[in-house]
Amino acid sequence: MTQAKLPGEVYIPSRNPLRPFLVWGGVALLVVFLIWLVRELGSRLKGPTFFILRYENGWMWLVGGLLLAVAVLCGTAYLGKRIGERSRGRTVSYVAVLGDQLTHLVIWIIIIASLYPILFIVATSFDPLNRVTQSSLGAATDPLLIRTRVLPPIQGNDLSNYAALFQGVVIYTWQWVLAGIAALALLWLGVVNFRTRAFAGGLIPGRIQLERRYTSLTLVAAIILFFVFLLPVQFTGGTTASKFLLWIRNTFLISGLTGIMAVILTTTAGYAMARLRFPGRFQTLMFFIFVQMFPNIVALVAIFSIIKSLDLLNTFTGLILAYSGGAIAFGTWIYKGYVESLPASLEEAALVDGTTRWGAFTRIVLPLSGPMLVFIFLLQFIGTYAEFLLANVLLSGAANWNVGVGLRSFGVSGGGTTAAVVYGQFAAAAVLGAIPIVALFYGFQQVFVSGTVAGGVKE
Amino acid sequence: MTVVRRAPRQAPPAGPTGVFIAIVTILGLCAVAFGVGWGLTQVLAGIFDRPGGFQIPAYLILILGAIVLIPLMVIAVRLLPWLVNWYYLLPAIVFLLAFTVYPIVLTVGYAFTNYSGQNSGESDTSTRLEVTKLSSTQLKLAAGANAQTELRCDVPTCAGVPIAMPDPQDAKKKPRANSIVSVEGGVITLKNALPDFYKPIQVNRVNPIAFIGFANFTDIFAKAGVQLWPVFVWTVIFAVSTTLINVVAGLVLGILLNNKRLKFRNVYRTLLFLPWAIPAVISVQIWKAGLLSTNTGALNRLFGLFGGMPVPWLDDELWAKVAILMVNLWLGFPYMMTATLSALSAIPEDLYEAAEVDGATKWQQVTGITLPMLQTAFVPIALSTFAFNFNNFGLIFLLTEGGPKLEGRLATAQSTDILISWGYNTAFTAAGNAAYGPASAIAIIVAVLTIGISIVNFRAAGVFKEAQK
Repeated sequence: MTQAKLPGEVYIPSRNPLRPFLVWGGVALLVVFLIWLVRELGSRLKGPTFFILRYENGWMWLVGGLLLAVAVLCGTAYLGKRIGERSRGRTVSYVAVLGDQLTHLVIWIIIIASLYPILFIVATSFDPLNRVTQSSLGAATDPLLIRTRVLPPIQGNDLSNYAALFQGVVIYTWQWVLAGIAALALLWLGVVNFRTRAFAGGLIPGRIQLERRYTSLTLVAAIILFFVFLLPVQFTGGTTASKFLLWIRNTFLISGLTGIMAVILTTTAGYAMARLRFPGRFQTLMFFIFVQMFPNIVALVAIFSIIKSLDLLNTFTGLILAYSGGAIAFGTWIYKGYVESLPASLEEAALVDGTTRWGAFTRIVLPLSGPMLVFIFLLQFIGTYAEFLLANVLLSGAANWNVGVGLRSFGVSGGGTTAAVVYGQFAAAAVLGAIPIVALFYGFQQVFVSGTVAGGVKE
Repeated sequence: MTVVRRAPRQAPPAGPTGVFIAIVTILGLCAVAFGVGWGLTQVLAGIFDRPGGFQIPAYLILILGAIVLIPLMVIAVRLLPWLVNWYYLLPAIVFLLAFTVYPIVLTVGYAFTNYSGQNSGESDTSTRLEVTKLSSTQLKLAAGANAQTELRCDVPTCAGVPIAMPDPQDAKKKPRANSIVSVEGGVITLKNALPDFYKPIQVNRVNPIAFIGFANFTDIFAKAGVQLWPVFVWTVIFAVSTTLINVVAGLVLGILLNNKRLKFRNVYRTLLFLPWAIPAVISVQIWKAGLLSTNTGALNRLFGLFGGMPVPWLDDELWAKVAILMVNLWLGFPYMMTATLSALSAIPEDLYEAAEVDGATKWQQVTGITLPMLQTAFVPIALSTFAFNFNNFGLIFLLTEGGPKLEGRLATAQSTDILISWGYNTAFTAAGNAAYGPASAIAIIVAVLTIGISIVNFRAAGVFKEAQK
């Protein structure tokens, strides 16, 4: 644990007499730059257009509304202070209560701002006419926000954009049964998790733990079986958009196998790095880390020609092999750290009893590393799910695409003008495509928060 | 390999010798195994390949190689028992060598060549000549065809020009390579005799990949004023400012949410987590698609309500940069917020209590305790964010594709292109004309910079010390 600086220590003035000038000079330069930037940006604004309703003095309403909210909070904070004092029987600082209430206000503004794009795309996905991005405005009788198309229209929404994604998809009866099993398992998992809340803080009975384990296994198995046996012949829709479920299946297949490869390749290496002492160990670890610094996008030409010369172009195998090469350093590194955190005495006892190193690894360390293996798998799975570039270069033909490449095919990011219908379908595909990863993120929130921050990496 | 004849020993030879022997043995095993795999594949291809029909796939090399590798490993470990330590690393090493190191080596090689879509060592389909077979070494030109213009030869006889003939039955088969001795009177004389059954109908020129030394690099530096420098400056500005903006936003939110008295703070955190949970490949396209359009975008409609003029988000070079920073803030602040919260939860409560006893104000507590403690945790996070954004190809490519276009700049290096997207454009977009050699040279420059950044980064994060443990 590093010792914190004492509060006073920070205020000791610097010995360098030039320092204040440098700091203030820097600040002055930054301010000058920002003023220039704002003026420059302002001069590049476009003139008013017909499709954007403009209220010259709208900003006054905004500022006024905010001031009003602050004034109301000043009042409620006073009430809060009195109520708090009465219930607790000691003085409550008015500034502290007001600060908390203002914090709520600021955070709600941030939440609304950051969830607006999500609300926007979800709303668009239900709108068959894509009224939000059309060059038109709502009827004059509509409420202001809907008339200006800042918020989506409420009437006239349906599921036709989603229907277009599943048009002509033939699902066999046994696949429906599998999907039903998966849905039931998911439901049951929710029930089990709800029941474990009763034991919060205490020991969860073994029976419930077992139940949870088998339910999750059933869920995973049903999903795997459903997607692995979902074949291109079942997609009779003819349009590109109707291959959407196939893209999801392809992405699951590619990401899942890459995740498994990452686990296989990194566990033995990570274990050796953590526990075995032999000359060359450190150098090899450095080699792993340095090799992986080379950004793989720039080696794309070479990766392409290698995969091509192996006759693996436009196959999932080729893509998985190319991804697996990039998964090694990070996985090895964090698994090494995990093994080091396990007590060595367990393995030593087993070694004394005559187990081999390999036996100690497979029978003692591996069974203990469940959560870490899940983390390595998930990280790779999510990273691969969102990968776009390599897939774009190596895969061709709508039946082979993954979600990222497929989404781009709707043309919205190609820069051209797109038909309204296609835009709505893009929105629907974006919503459905994001759901699996969002679910994984929230399901394993704790794993991500602790693991990613400890690893100090994004993605 | 003289090493393997020695008596088995339990411990590796001390010092670098042991490492050297191990590496040579491991590389030797891989080379032998995949060499045998390659040989067996060639033999099988000789037996089973049918013209226009069944072909032995080349990836059989990998499968056969792996099958051969296993017995070789067993033999090697009998002779050198200490080698077993290295076997734990072998799967990782093999994959790194095949799919990371080998591409890097190839890329470095390409950087010194004129490799491009045209100079590819394969048929240049922009040159074609219809022919009929006269004899085993002679082809007749179609009437009216001029070999010199069609094949772009330097001399009228086209002497020594390498050519390839596409398979008449199956266009997918590898074209048959040959070269021209001379072209005279509408008859091409070939260097190598053709087999009797083979009746070519077409000839393409082949432009070999040539070694051109440092020409790609000197070319890049000669044109640095319109590509390398502006792109590099923007890359650095982008990476630095996006890191700063995201870190500050994450710090502010994290410190606000760390307030223990704040009700619903877990709900807030869960809601603010959402932009992180959506795959960036999807969310960047969402931003581009509906929100940032100048005339109908949701953001401009919202600004209009408050009297704002339409913002040319993706149509103006300066606003496009603002848009990139804004979208990246949206993508990245939840991570920074989470990092702040977990760093804050690691600060012991009694420090604040002690400060309070000593009469420190809230603000003094923030500047005296919170920020210095956060600094330790945030230096590595900020550095890795910088390194990530330095090569944040996905954001640039999906949001602006490097545009909008600028007068006087190369088509591959537009206003918002960063180094890595410039390299990509050079190799893979129409503007770059599939110039793989120059793109590889750019790749080397990017790699050198990235490795430099990563070394600083790892030093700050203590990776090197941790590895030696």
